[in-house]
Amino acid sequence: MIDDWVGHLHRRWDSPVARLPATFKLGVGLVIIFGTVLAPPWAVGWFVSAALLLLITVALSRIPPLFLLKRLAWLSPLILGVALVNALQPAARGSWMLVAAKSTICLLTIIVVSNTTPFSRILRVLKAAHVPGLLITTLALMHRYLFVLVEEAERMRRARASRTFTHRRGARWQTLSTVVSQLFVRASERAERIYDAMCARGWK
Amino acid sequence: MHIPDGFIDAKTAAATALLSAAGVGLALRQARRTLPPRRVPLLGLAAAFLFATQMVNFPVAGGTSGHLVGGVLVAALLGPSAAIVVLTAVLIVQCFLFADGGVLALGANVFNMAIIGAAGGYAIYRLVCHWLPGTRGQVAAVAFAGWCSTLLASICCAGELAWSGTVAWPAAFTAMASVHMVIGIGEGLISALVFLAIRRMRPDLTGEINAPAPTRQWGELVCYGLLAALGITIFVAPFACPWPDGLESVAARLGFEHQAGHRVVRAPAPGYQVAGVRWAAGATAVAGAAGTLVVFGLALLLARSLVRETEEDNHPTRP
Amino acid sequence: MNAAIQVANLTYRYHDGTEALRGVSFGVAPGECVGLLGPNGSGKSTLLLHLNGLLPEKLGWNGAVHILGQALTPDNIDTVRKQVGLVFQDPDDQLFCPSVEEDVAFGPRQLGLSEAEVKVRVQKALAEAGLAGFSHRATHHLSHGEKRRACLAGVLACEPTVLVLDEPTSDLDPRGRREFKALLRQISATKLIATHDLELVVELCSRAIVLDRGAVVAEGPVAELLDNEELMLAHGLERPHILRHRHPHGQEGGE
Repeated sequence: MIDDWVGHLHRRWDSPVARLPATFKLGVGLVIIFGTVLAPPWAVGWFVSAALLLLITVALSRIPPLFLLKRLAWLSPLILGVALVNALQPAARGSWMLVAAKSTICLLTIIVVSNTTPFSRILRVLKAAHVPGLLITTLALMHRYLFVLVEEAERMRRARASRTFTHRRGARWQTLSTVVSQLFVRASERAERIYDAMCARGWK
Repeated sequence: MHIPDGFIDAKTAAATALLSAAGVGLALRQARRTLPPRRVPLLGLAAAFLFATQMVNFPVAGGTSGHLVGGVLVAALLGPSAAIVVLTAVLIVQCFLFADGGVLALGANVFNMAIIGAAGGYAIYRLVCHWLPGTRGQVAAVAFAGWCSTLLASICCAGELAWSGTVAWPAAFTAMASVHMVIGIGEGLISALVFLAIRRMRPDLTGEINAPAPTRQWGELVCYGLLAALGITIFVAPFACPWPDGLESVAARLGFEHQAGHRVVRAPAPGYQVAGVRWAAGATAVAGAAGTLVVFGLALLLARSLVRETEEDNHPTRP
Repeated sequence: MNAAIQVANLTYRYHDGTEALRGVSFGVAPGECVGLLGPNGSGKSTLLLHLNGLLPEKLGWNGAVHILGQALTPDNIDTVRKQVGLVFQDPDDQLFCPSVEEDVAFGPRQLGLSEAEVKVRVQKALAEAGLAGFSHRATHHLSHGEKRRACLAGVLACEPTVLVLDEPTSDLDPRGRREFKALLRQISATKLIATHDLELVVELCSRAIVLDRGAVVAEGPVAELLDNEELMLAHGLERPHILRHRHPHGQEGGE
């Protein structure tokens, strides 16, 4: 699961879509999402054209279809949940099909944009949109050290597991809590070293 | 609890976005003012830490597993403003990179998990610490606040879904609240275990170094509290209020009713077929209230069992 | 001529009171390459952090450190950081930008150079570090050796007069070590290298300083110091094999 979720961070499929400027892709993506959310139930034309545009983009962007389907499948339990809950409440406004359609289109948009745009470009767009510097730095550092920490957590967990000879849940929880706390302490210490490294090269 | 796009409508997205923008803006300003420069990279690393931690599976029963969301944990370690920034960063990355939570729904997710969850949870944590001193008090506070914040965030989420008309309030409330009352136990328990482990390893990380002076902090908390209260008033109160007819007349007088096809406040669905669901919602509310007392007791017991008597003397008690 | 680095009676205590450095004194002449040796926990990294003003945190210096003839004080800390380039022990701590280009450009940008100048410096530094063409690579994707070279490039881009390196060849495979050593040989700046790699010290350094438990226990020409088996063993080190045999892939022992 880790590989699937985090590995894709660094997978970049080169394609005509990937070469488009980030601002353009983000802009179009936002327009599609806004429009879809605002669209009333009878605006079938909008839904169909948005879906078509997305499918064409997906084809051009060379994102593997299996990868896409796996991500879309994530939505299904939520939609089922809403459907179930709505089934018991006949007065509920808006059918779940509409919710499903809107969500799928928006999800597809995000997946396409995020898989054809490096995160650092997205950050640059946010910076240009006057998002405060502290948040940008936090996002940048988070993105850079995400995989590092995930790997560290995995290594620690494996090392602990190799010395765990009991399957009692209580012991597992203690082990995992220790791993998580160690991860925080190491992250803290690494943050201090990063601060030193930034200062060493002139950051103020 | 990440709401995807399409589940909430435009007005809900806009309202939550405004509330969140205010809260995050305030948090950023506070963090810039009170955080020593040395700790700036810690925000990014804490965000990466939260993300990595959310993927750790804590086995529950029969193949299911719990996960730590970590809002209250981060707030207890870094203070409410830093926690809001950290959680916002996590939610943004989850939204943009993993499509976990919608783009327009980002405002709602940030409001639920960062402002209500982290800052609200922190307020509860500080209150409990105020009454119960020492390490035991802190551990109990983290556990209890973890549970409360999960439940409160889920109730707000239900309110937002109902306001959008995606799911009717009684059903949304029952489903979200009952599920999260259980999930919250995991959150509280894991947060407490991790907090205590960090306390033992590096007590300086759990001390007041990361938090600003007490007086300033209460001011900050009051602001977040106001934002939270505003959100709850908008999204939850209309539904939870026992006099919906009264609210309806107010709405009519203020002209809300005139929006074409849009009713800001939903009237309770008439008829007998929904009585069952409304009863369930009422029962859930009662269970929640009783649950709060039970969980508080459990949190105290947990702290008792985890923290040895000797540890109390070694660590300084909170002011 | 002023010494490039002059440390006089430097003392430092950790937060819990343990002494990390006890009256450390030594000098490094301009253009020299000096090796800093010592067992783990001897205080090498702590000492190096003092040369860049990163320690002590409270900035209460007693004039113990002089860089290029100037005492290190809170006022001239920025100047000193431009003159002294510190390469950290863990490359992941230093490579905090997403791409190689951005990371190497970090230093020049902090110096306030124009974008055009920054570009020139970046290309030059990458070429010096043997990473020409690596500009657009993601830092996370680099191999350990490439990360170390990227760190070096990032520091070289600031054009420091003095280069201080903390365990630059640890975790490198033999080829990585040879390549890094070849790189260091090309760099003409004054060098102070803290390391466990005794072969590196023999091949590149003219003098060595041995640190143990926060104090300087020995100092002198490399051939003499490292050949002293008794001294080496007494301080958690050993006499390097290269002094006994000719190395098939490198130069003969000593400069």
